[in-house]
Amino acid sequence: MQVYLPIAEMSVDAFLLMAIGFGVGWLSGLFGVGGGFLLTPLLLLIGVPSPVAVASGANQTIGASVSGLIAQWRRGNVDAKMGGVLLAGGFTGSVLGVQLFALLRRIGQVDLAVSVFYVVVLGTVGGLMVMESVRAIRRRRSATRRKLHAHTWMHGLPLKTRFRKSRLYISVIPPFLIGAGIGLLSAVMGVGGGFMLVPAMIYLLGMPTSVVIGTSLFQVVFVAANVTLLAAVQLGTVDVLLTLLLLVGGVAGAQFGASMGTRLRGEETRALLGLLVLGVAMSLLWGLLRPPQNLFSAGPAL
Amino acid sequence: MIRRLLAVLLPLLLGVAARAQDQPLVAALSRTDIEVTTGFTGASLVVFGSTEQPIGPGGDEVIIVARGPTRPVVVRRKVAVAGLVWVNGPSARFAGVPGYYVLAGTRPAWQILPEEQRQRHALGLDALPLASTGARSPAFRRALLELERDSGLWIEDSAPIEIAGSRLFFVRLPLPAEVPTGDYRVEVLLVRSRQIIAREDLLFRVDRVGTADRIATVAQVQPLLYGLACIAVAALAGWLGSVLFRRG
Repeated sequence: MQVYLPIAEMSVDAFLLMAIGFGVGWLSGLFGVGGGFLLTPLLLLIGVPSPVAVASGANQTIGASVSGLIAQWRRGNVDAKMGGVLLAGGFTGSVLGVQLFALLRRIGQVDLAVSVFYVVVLGTVGGLMVMESVRAIRRRRSATRRKLHAHTWMHGLPLKTRFRKSRLYISVIPPFLIGAGIGLLSAVMGVGGGFMLVPAMIYLLGMPTSVVIGTSLFQVVFVAANVTLLAAVQLGTVDVLLTLLLLVGGVAGAQFGASMGTRLRGEETRALLGLLVLGVAMSLLWGLLRPPQNLFSAGPAL
Repeated sequence: MIRRLLAVLLPLLLGVAARAQDQPLVAALSRTDIEVTTGFTGASLVVFGSTEQPIGPGGDEVIIVARGPTRPVVVRRKVAVAGLVWVNGPSARFAGVPGYYVLAGTRPAWQILPEEQRQRHALGLDALPLASTGARSPAFRRALLELERDSGLWIEDSAPIEIAGSRLFFVRLPLPAEVPTGDYRVEVLLVRSRQIIAREDLLFRVDRVGTADRIATVAQVQPLLYGLACIAVAALAGWLGSVLFRRG
């Protein structure tokens, strides 16, 4: 069934979009991430213009994350104070990110920038995840324990605050900067940033795992909402029909993924997710290195 | 009843026929409104008409050219940075590029018109007046023509105008799903002994209608409201999904 997308100004198969939504939703339910990092490249692959893919991907992330956030909030797994600091950073970052995106679009380097961001960020995160989980699987056998709490230069920063739910007494500067960095990336890449935020909160801030998922969803929902709003106002590239079709499949897929995810062990799940992230990075890298079929491309002048 | 209706209509019909006989060329479009709905997958329309003199070699020839709304286009060329990564490099900006251009004739325009006439009326992709700024190389213009031809929005002499009964002609204009919205102009030219002796200008519009139109209009006119609505719709869909699947 062909559907005409009013903002992308193209006709696509509605069932294909729902299937993509389902697949991404299934994986995101399985691994507990928003899945934006898979969605945007897939949309680019089926020919959606990159500004529309990025903006609609951010919009879809809201829908994909909001049900998880509600569930985590009920269980009291959201550190609202930490979330607020991350969010303040996230808003700053996403405002800057949308300006950067508008600039890139004017000079015609959006496709390059999106690809490079994906390759660098996904390559790094994927690599780290695979390494970390392999080490964890090995450690399970040799049973040496990691130090629980280490003092680093981060603890010497000013503006120290107590984050009760996270059981931390740290400066607000590191979480603000992390939030800002991820907000910037989410505006350029059309992702919620959960796959970067979760490891950052565990390894950089030292937050307990129980509140990490809920707090990251809190940040992701609001940053994605901010990106959506800014993209709609400044770039006019949010396609609500595209978002809805993706969500129809995505919401269903996420439920199946989540029920399957409970049967997998943590380290194995992280290793698989890491490999998946690396795979996406590699395929985009190939797209940058491969000699293009047509050297020329045409686009609307802005 | 029927007789009375005929009595009213007959003079009108005769009038049109008489007008057609006075004029060397009469042409019309099968439809003047193309509606782009959410289910739009492309459309087509027929340009048809008749001539006073017989059409064919040695007699009259007909050329039809359809042009869509114009917009500025940037053509970029990729270059390999450090021989490794392909990056958009030099670019040329073309102002006023038609979003749709179809040329059809009973014979190709270059066969039936002098070159100077053909250039003046921009009949043929090579005769399109495409002024550019930026990179100078003619390769950019060539690339633009190729890209637009590949998209199916620029067509030159893909099928000749069909002739029926030596004085009736018609040609089908394909409008693919990517067709830009706006005002279109169709020129029908009558050529006799290498001269354009009559012309008729016809207009049609491509419009988004229904849901597709409402979404695009709101997104353009009230972007803030549209953005907020997008957020609300996505959040609602996510919440609804979680409720539905928890029960089921």
